[in-house]
Amino acid sequence: MAEKEYLKLTPPRRTAGFAIVSVTRSNLWLGKDHLLGIETEGYTEKYKRFYFRDIQAITLLRTNRAFVLGVVTGGMTALFALLVLAIDDVVGKWVFGILGGICAIPFLGNLIYGPTCKCELRTAVQTENVPSMSRVRRARKVLNRIRPLIAEAQGQLTAEEIPSRFREMIAAPATEPPIMQPPGSAPGVPP
Amino acid sequence: MSTALIHCPKCKAALIGEVFNRDDFAPCPSCAAPLLIEVYPAMFRPPSKARTGEAVMMEGEASCFYHPQKKAVLPCEGCGRFLCALCDCEHQGQHLCPACLESGRTKGKIKSLENARTRYDNIALALALFPILIFYFTIITAPMVLYVVIRYWKTPPGLTQGSRWRFVVAIIVALLQMGGWVAVIIALATG
Repeated sequence: MAEKEYLKLTPPRRTAGFAIVSVTRSNLWLGKDHLLGIETEGYTEKYKRFYFRDIQAITLLRTNRAFVLGVVTGGMTALFALLVLAIDDVVGKWVFGILGGICAIPFLGNLIYGPTCKCELRTAVQTENVPSMSRVRRARKVLNRIRPLIAEAQGQLTAEEIPSRFREMIAAPATEPPIMQPPGSAPGVPP
Repeated sequence: MSTALIHCPKCKAALIGEVFNRDDFAPCPSCAAPLLIEVYPAMFRPPSKARTGEAVMMEGEASCFYHPQKKAVLPCEGCGRFLCALCDCEHQGQHLCPACLESGRTKGKIKSLENARTRYDNIALALALFPILIFYFTIITAPMVLYVVIRYWKTPPGLTQGSRWRFVVAIIVALLQMGGWVAVIIALATG
């Protein structure tokens, strides 16, 4: 069997819309020398490639979305559980039991997936939000997976040398902006 | 706000200090938001110099197809036209002219330049399955599914998925629906 060109790093995450048929989903795949971000909108897939040699930084910001989701779904589960205990009607018990069960699924899922975060990936020409890396545990896994690949393409930096490199960069005189030829866009014939 | 620096995704303050390449989340010095930032050497790579074509110096010297006043440095590997340094687009070890690069992208010949795809297999599957909810629609949609499957069978599915199982499922469902309609029509005709 032929080796797969891409390996899935993150499951699809809905980024917009509530409809069942047409939603925007985003996920991340690992290629030989790049990360492939796929945004599925309806029946169209849009691709963004982030080459390991071009990735400048990955930022994770821990958010409180998991906490809010936990409080809301946990509260509703508890409320329905109390209603089940409080009423005597068998049909009512079943109805509230089912509703409580429906609320318990996202509550438990949220507990299992863990804390949430917002991820940004930076290259020389863009800072891209990566919605599919929305859980800290998953994001760490992805980082651990791609770190050696980026190091292979670029080398490594220690935490201690980065501030001094930034200071050097700020102190250095501004250079002429380069003409960019990203691999995803074919330039027209230059004048 | 310098674009060369990394900014906190929450408060947008420029970060230079001790928050980079840590093992765990560290607070933003400005807003205390928990951040985990990995910085790679590409961050400090000086921008590459813009290429310029060298002018033709001698009579009879090979010149660029697109810029007759510029000296040719190599032929395009796609069409064989002579190119100057300005028109030479290097992509994955290949030297192409802007026109070949553009046609390779639009015709999907250069896979790594593809930035969008329509998922005809998903369209066929949706067209086969969703109308089942209102069964009468299948008399129109089943032949449409057959058309989509036959017309787009050779079109590659998503960039990360090579199999055509959705097409196969869609055609089976569509054939079953058409068989059902034939049976209904025969039953009505024979009374």
